[in-house]
Amino acid sequence: MTELDDIPDGSDAALALDFALGALDGSAMRSAELRLRSDPAFARDVVRWQEQLGPLATDVAAVAAPQSVWSAVDRELFRTAAPRPVAVQSVWATLAIWRAVAFGASGVAAIALGLLVSRPAAVPVAQPTSVLLAASMASTDSAKAVLITATYDPTRGAVILTPAAADSSRGLTPELWIIVGKEAPKSLGVIDLKDPQAHKIPTALRAQMNSGATLAISLEPAGGSPTGAPTGPVVAAGKLAPI
Amino acid sequence: MALVSMLDRIGAGDRNSLKMLYEATSAKLFGVILRILLERGEAEDVLQEVYITVWRKAAEFDATRASPITWMVTIARNRAIDRLRARGSRPTTTLDAAAEVRDTAPGADVAIDTANDAKRVNAALATLDPRHAAIIRSAYFEGLTYEAMSDREGVPIGTLKSWVRRGLIRMRTVLET
Repeated sequence: MTELDDIPDGSDAALALDFALGALDGSAMRSAELRLRSDPAFARDVVRWQEQLGPLATDVAAVAAPQSVWSAVDRELFRTAAPRPVAVQSVWATLAIWRAVAFGASGVAAIALGLLVSRPAAVPVAQPTSVLLAASMASTDSAKAVLITATYDPTRGAVILTPAAADSSRGLTPELWIIVGKEAPKSLGVIDLKDPQAHKIPTALRAQMNSGATLAISLEPAGGSPTGAPTGPVVAAGKLAPI
Repeated sequence: MALVSMLDRIGAGDRNSLKMLYEATSAKLFGVILRILLERGEAEDVLQEVYITVWRKAAEFDATRASPITWMVTIARNRAIDRLRARGSRPTTTLDAAAEVRDTAPGADVAIDTANDAKRVNAALATLDPRHAAIIRSAYFEGLTYEAMSDREGVPIGTLKSWVRRGLIRMRTVLET
């Protein structure tokens, strides 16, 4: 029972242990992450080690966290008044997370969440390619005025963007996003809030331009989001619907 | 209410349960994060991220495989270590993936009493060479890579890996006795 087999270097068993401990460096860590997703036996091994190590942490003295932390969590997740259907939860969580990446909680963005959350994320219904789809993208401030309309023309693979209000980009770069169901927002590229324009949708994303998908605009640094996910406040959002 | 039930309800979208879970566990997790990061402002940021992650991932929590507190501690620790590595010039990678593991096989580990677990783990650590035990502890709390541990301890990396791995296997043997 006390036989101490050394785990051979390079074995799966060693990798699971090292990964759970967090002792791997960058490239080895990344390859372990890949294994984790594809290999349940490996994943199970990792969890076993985590379970063994976890109690070390429970021995650390508890320290009361300031009230501001809970307030921030609460604001981040529950700022909106109405209870929402569970189905929308992960859209909300995704938005909350990406908003948390670079900006603190801003009222504007918090309202944007409410706006998106208040519209149940219905499973998009595929449209015949000839149908035009439009989204009235309402501003996320209290006025909820339509900021811009987006009309998608599947035959051109482009959205026609028509600003309906004064430019509110405040010197930042507006970026257009599509949110389908529970998935993370995907960038449709940087746009302009000043002039009407036709904006090409990346070929790979055209299949997602369906009724029920949400379009949103966030304000990003010059050149667009540096991370591939929205990092700035959401200024407008709306759902695509056939016209 | 047991932590498992809270996570269960949080997974179903119950906010009040998140508040209850926060009240029951935040001081513990804050202690862990602070122990790793040492800097209060950063630790507060990470604590906030952790509960947002818990809200997001609660539905994935599998009580047959992990205990709730270890699951949360793993999230907290990984987030804190990510933050720690992001500070330095060392290459960063996301440890958070480690908290996402799940599979469909029935699990052997089921939640046991936390304080009792800590006692048993400490007892198991105490059976190791004190230097090896200290290295395992600092690896756990400082997120050091083998390379960094090897530099710090002044021993070859192969030796260090062997100490750590054999130490953990020995602990497991003791714990499973």
